[in-house]
Amino acid sequence: MNILGLSCYYHDSAACIICDGVLVAAAQEERFNRIKNSSDFPINAINFCVQQAGISFDQIDYVAFYEKPFLKFSRVILDIVSKFPFSYGSFIRNTPQWLQDRLILPGVLKREFAYKGDVLFIPHHHAHAASTFFVSPFDEAAILINDGVGEYSTSSIGFGSGKNIDLQKQINYPDSLGLLYSAITTFLGFNANSGEGTTMALASFGQVNYLEQFKKIINIAPDGSYTLNQKYFSLNKRKRMYSKDLITLLGAPRKFDTDYDQRHKDIAATLQFVIEDCLIKQSKYAYNTFGSENLCLAGGVFLNCVANQKILEQTKFKKIFIQPGAGDAGASIGAAFFTYNSILGNERKFVMNHAYFGPESTDKEIEIALNAKSLKFNKYEEQTLLEIVTERIIAKKTVGWFQGRLEFGPRALGNRSILASAQDSVMTEILNSRIKHREWFRPFAPIVKKEKANDYFKMLADSPFMLLAPKVIEKMKTIIPAVTHIDGTARTQTVDKETNPLLWKLLDVHEKKTGISVIINTSFNLKAEPIVCKPAEAIIDYLNSEMDCLALGNYFIEKHDEI
Amino acid sequence: MPESEPDIFLNKEGICNICLTYEHEKQDDNKEKLLESDLLKILDKYKGKKKYDCMVMCSGGKDSTSALYFMKTRYNLNILAFMFDHGFETKEAIDNVRNAVDILDVDFILYKSSFMKPMFSKILQTDSKATLCHICSIWYMDLAYDVAARYDIPLIVAGWTKGQSQTKKANTQSNKNHYTEFLLMSEATECFLNNQLKDMPQYKRFPKSMEEVLKRAKKRHKSLVISPHWFLPYGPEEYVKIIKQELGWKAPALSYPKGSTNCLLNFISVYNSIKHFGYTHYHVEASKLIRKGVISREEAIEQLKQNFDFETLNKVASKMNISFDDSL
Repeated sequence: MNILGLSCYYHDSAACIICDGVLVAAAQEERFNRIKNSSDFPINAINFCVQQAGISFDQIDYVAFYEKPFLKFSRVILDIVSKFPFSYGSFIRNTPQWLQDRLILPGVLKREFAYKGDVLFIPHHHAHAASTFFVSPFDEAAILINDGVGEYSTSSIGFGSGKNIDLQKQINYPDSLGLLYSAITTFLGFNANSGEGTTMALASFGQVNYLEQFKKIINIAPDGSYTLNQKYFSLNKRKRMYSKDLITLLGAPRKFDTDYDQRHKDIAATLQFVIEDCLIKQSKYAYNTFGSENLCLAGGVFLNCVANQKILEQTKFKKIFIQPGAGDAGASIGAAFFTYNSILGNERKFVMNHAYFGPESTDKEIEIALNAKSLKFNKYEEQTLLEIVTERIIAKKTVGWFQGRLEFGPRALGNRSILASAQDSVMTEILNSRIKHREWFRPFAPIVKKEKANDYFKMLADSPFMLLAPKVIEKMKTIIPAVTHIDGTARTQTVDKETNPLLWKLLDVHEKKTGISVIINTSFNLKAEPIVCKPAEAIIDYLNSEMDCLALGNYFIEKHDEI
Repeated sequence: MPESEPDIFLNKEGICNICLTYEHEKQDDNKEKLLESDLLKILDKYKGKKKYDCMVMCSGGKDSTSALYFMKTRYNLNILAFMFDHGFETKEAIDNVRNAVDILDVDFILYKSSFMKPMFSKILQTDSKATLCHICSIWYMDLAYDVAARYDIPLIVAGWTKGQSQTKKANTQSNKNHYTEFLLMSEATECFLNNQLKDMPQYKRFPKSMEEVLKRAKKRHKSLVISPHWFLPYGPEEYVKIIKQELGWKAPALSYPKGSTNCLLNFISVYNSIKHFGYTHYHVEASKLIRKGVISREEAIEQLKQNFDFETLNKVASKMNISFDDSL
């Protein structure tokens, strides 16, 4: 049985396919159409998934969509009506899109790839819940969902057992932790739906000095339920997400591309604190209600690795599972598994223990891309390549690392990555000024051999998807300064020998040469573009930046021969 | 490239026609990233509406055999397979098609005809520089449209690969520029068709160019020409493996260029092209692949090495009751 899971039309469009209950392929549309956080119908991703699965389009048994469009539309219309006439602009902007695509999905599927079979619409938070619980290693677990908004729900708490998911309590729009985080993110001069990570990074530089003000914005109950004071928001009223009252409360918003003052940092820090506080309370409530020691998290809010770490540290949960595409992209996977396990009642047989479900390039494709740019290259045996790449990393070079299948989710997890030494803090400057050109305060993440992670970080659990931020062990802070953030944490990815043997071997070679099993891993993309998908894109980024070397499969090129 | 090279023409800016065509095609390639879902949209328009959903033009080569395979197994179409033999098809090619249609259970027409032999003989016996392959492709397309009209088939499927985008343009729009790279060759062909057939009444209605084929086809019957290879991501390595395994497909022992499945007449066509122009259309295609990085110059030179001798040429020429040496 083949089920195609889809998410689209809001942000981070994606498709996946599961064959007989096993995830075979998954990818975000942005990787193909090269539009960051693309909300387009994921036609490229769909083509890839079907072809990767080795099936034809007419072998798709069900299409599962990650939300209920009519329910969502009812919320949008009610919201617009309640805010009329201020919402007129929003109505004019959004309504045609709903009528052309979102409300007629079966028609769109027929139009886009002649699909005439069954389409199942999964409630958004059920899709999120399934995206984490059904692919987790747990037989039973508490489930916590927090995102911007789906149909109506913005926060859900429930319990998963076997092939059942029971979401028992929900908070509805317009109260939303995701929208609060996004609104303040835009207040701080970053983009909603993509700049939240930047806000999280900025938070580490501030003090929680705005708690009194935030108490006026959000009221959090002891069980983690909350309400937002809507006078501070302007959802569907204006193009911006916050109101004049928020400006009165917090001061002038930061304009895009201007300097950061301490006030901005403190606002970010307070926001982060408030969100963590709320999530910890929700988690404690879930623990007390369901009694499980396992916790499954999903929704865009849980891409916040600092908050995830606090949940792990400050609750009694022993194990936490968050899948790599915790946001809406991952809900495509949830929709497919909810259909397979919950609706069709099939037994669970899949655990998502890695993120490598995207396209892969053959040697021939790599050679074609290199030849098309007339680049001189060498092809090495694996061990030689690992030795050379390690030598370059030790020599403080930056290395583009393009290997195997593309990762699913927003993080580069070692297959489309830029690697550099974690042992010299100057590397963060080099990466920023020569390649990434991103905000100076954003930390770079480390990869570490799973079995050595505790030597460097205060790990409470494995972090295969870079979704936890453990504290760096005190004596290691000076050993790996390039990945130690100002708050003493690191957005760690633990590398498993089984799921990414090549990356693990690279860390092993690095460890043998330096005694250190940690390397910087940052995503293989330039500013404002999606992570690279194909060899040609990796080569263009390599040529358009000051990246020193590039390893594409076993092919290696470098700009300076004098090493 | 300088204008002293055959078939090279510089524009006002001093850029040659080969470079212009390449740049134009590169832009097209970037614009038109065709997906399999695009093919499905086309097929959905035609599937199940007539007795046959499509006609597949089969040569017995890897590309058309795999096209037949995909249309049947991947898209479940009701197919009429069509092959012609002008008397120069190899046994392997015909066997490949017969095997495929048997295994896939597809209706099949093999059109065997000596109709073209006198024309081919004329080219060889006169000093015409007309390219045999051009003339043959004009005849084949005209025939294909004829058969499609006869059986009311809305879709003609060929095995053209992504690199053969020239052919795609030729069949989807009436655009004379598609011969930019082969200007002298196509002019020689047109000149032959216009001037040398006057004493051969059987060719009175023979089209004078591919444009004429398309124009006539438009009037006669609406058929869309497509190739699944434009839409599918699979390369020859993948689909050759499939058709060998599933259809018992075999490559011919000898064909030019190395690794292709062209007919016997192609040897003479290649020989003449080199004699008259210094290169063949295979050289143009290979040079494009070199520019795209698909093959290296050395690989192309190896592929394009002449792998046949006079004995082979004469064997083929004898089928037209002429001695090939006489035509030199």
